[in-house]
Amino acid sequence: MAEKGSGSILQFSPFQSSVDEGFWHRLSSLKLNKLGIDDSPIPITGFYAPCSYSQSRVSNYLTLIMESLPSDSDEQSSMAAISHGSRNRCFVPGILYNTNTLESFHAIDKQSLLKEEAKKIWEDIRSGKAVDDSKILSRFLLISFADLKKWNFHYWFAFPALVLDPPATLVDLRPASQWFSLQEAESVSAACNEWRNSSLTADVPFFLVSIAADSHATIRHLKDWEACQGDGQKLLFGFYDPCHLQNNPGWPLRNLLALVFSRWNIKSVRFLCYKENRGFADMGLSLIGEALITVPQGWKELQGVPNAVGWELNNGRKISRRISLAKSMDPTRLAISAA
Amino acid sequence: MVLSQKLHEAFKGTVERITGPRTVSAFREKGVLSVSEFILAGDNLVSKCPTWSWESGEPSKRKSYLPSEKQFLITRNVPCLKRAASIEEEYEDAGGEILVDNEDNDGWLATHGKPKDKCDEDDNLPSMEALEISKKSTVMSISNHFGGEDEEDIPDMAEYDEPDSLIETDPATLQSTYLVVHEPDDDNILRTRTYDVSITYDKYYQTPRVWLTGYDESRMLLQPEYVLEDVSQDHARKTVTIEDHPHLPGKHASIHPCRHGAVMKKIIDVLVSRGVEPEVDKYLFLFLKFVASVIPTIEYDYTMDFDLGSSSS
Repeated sequence: MAEKGSGSILQFSPFQSSVDEGFWHRLSSLKLNKLGIDDSPIPITGFYAPCSYSQSRVSNYLTLIMESLPSDSDEQSSMAAISHGSRNRCFVPGILYNTNTLESFHAIDKQSLLKEEAKKIWEDIRSGKAVDDSKILSRFLLISFADLKKWNFHYWFAFPALVLDPPATLVDLRPASQWFSLQEAESVSAACNEWRNSSLTADVPFFLVSIAADSHATIRHLKDWEACQGDGQKLLFGFYDPCHLQNNPGWPLRNLLALVFSRWNIKSVRFLCYKENRGFADMGLSLIGEALITVPQGWKELQGVPNAVGWELNNGRKISRRISLAKSMDPTRLAISAA
Repeated sequence: MVLSQKLHEAFKGTVERITGPRTVSAFREKGVLSVSEFILAGDNLVSKCPTWSWESGEPSKRKSYLPSEKQFLITRNVPCLKRAASIEEEYEDAGGEILVDNEDNDGWLATHGKPKDKCDEDDNLPSMEALEISKKSTVMSISNHFGGEDEEDIPDMAEYDEPDSLIETDPATLQSTYLVVHEPDDDNILRTRTYDVSITYDKYYQTPRVWLTGYDESRMLLQPEYVLEDVSQDHARKTVTIEDHPHLPGKHASIHPCRHGAVMKKIIDVLVSRGVEPEVDKYLFLFLKFVASVIPTIEYDYTMDFDLGSSSS
């Protein structure tokens, strides 16, 4: 809850992954029935939502489910079904590199794959594509090896984030309810709930909050930034924050700050870490902060892509994860447990 | 699965195939739901508790009597806090489960000790009083990943440890705190499991049915057996069984619906006797209230706050 002293480095809480069983089942059948030994990258979709259980100290995760993968039948029905997100499923575009052997899994050049994804984000920022469609500002990368003989899955996630060098400093971070007046907080809550309830905007994770002099709040798309200038209103950059922490913003803010700085040259950014309580906007849990950005080295040259970080740690260590689904996939074991 | 259970499943499957879904309301009389009432109640749950959503599940498992985009309800990532009010005491009682995290570890967790049998007060047909979420919950051991017994198959991951150059020291990345802390009694690391809770429609029993998919604190799938630790010990393995999910792959823990109708009827009767006229679109709120007595540790008690029917007083 405490206000951070000025000048501390703004630290972001990393995104975390969660893969449900359905994803591995579909990957297996895709591999067996369609892909064979073809190991070209597959576009996949991850889902996340704003943190809804802050008080229980549970963050939201980037979740992969069965529908994250294309269906192994040729009908596109399941892809069509997720062509629009929902409030509990904001999509994050991702790419899957599934290798054929454990050796090639470990031999993957992780650094260059991460750079490749970071380059996409950077190009979308430079071209303005990420302003028009903010969903592509967060991306993820998944490398995996599916051992279908033993029903073991080795995998590793990365959530590419453009690095500001030198890092941004945090001037202020506090619950939104302390920063807003009572009227403003009510109006922002109402506007956020409306945004989250409309099927057009529920899954748009980055947005603008503008508050007029009469405390009336409006949520707008990032592309309306120019239109919001010059009428003396308060303007904040909002994002769905998956993180439950009260002293650190979540990972998606990193690429948002990169966008805000490189598009509009804003060096002092007010941001809103939007969080919910059981599905409704909560200004006591949402945070408002101010970040100061120093002109990063080399950002003036157009061709250079900023450095990127984002490989997920496994219990604090730089190792891949592994899950065994023999219990639910191995026919022999299934026969025994059914006997 | 025991033979009698298999036989029953086969019988139930046959009946489901040859009988049509319920179309006439018997909500008040039997505590059951018709298909359209299930949709109505589900729509109401989604609108009042927006962390719930409808999903369509695996296309090959779709039920024709339900709309394709409303096959079942799900809420993901629901916290299941520390399984007990006094975690420290339980750690001692349970024989001290520990994180296997020695120097040359392979990043796996192990549990020792067995869940101690403590029981909640409620019986199989809970009274209204028993529907309060018990403060005293039951279970304690740390979770486990799938496949823990295949220890010998696990390659030594240490040799694949990446060089420091891969994950650069980035001053703007918050170093995770709870994942590297080892003290189980440190208040900063609640052993918080999370659950995906889903509700399907059981055509045979004509009631909703609850399914649980558990994850440990690093979001690795829990074996369904471990899910039983978060279930009231009165119900574990009796009313809560591990079966195939009707819309999702894999085995999941589920509260067997054979008594759901009777329980719901009892709850409805109690409400009526108190002068409350239950409305069918509130069915799932009542239902979740009952479910909370079976799985007291999972945090979705917010459904308690809703007005459950039109009060005649």
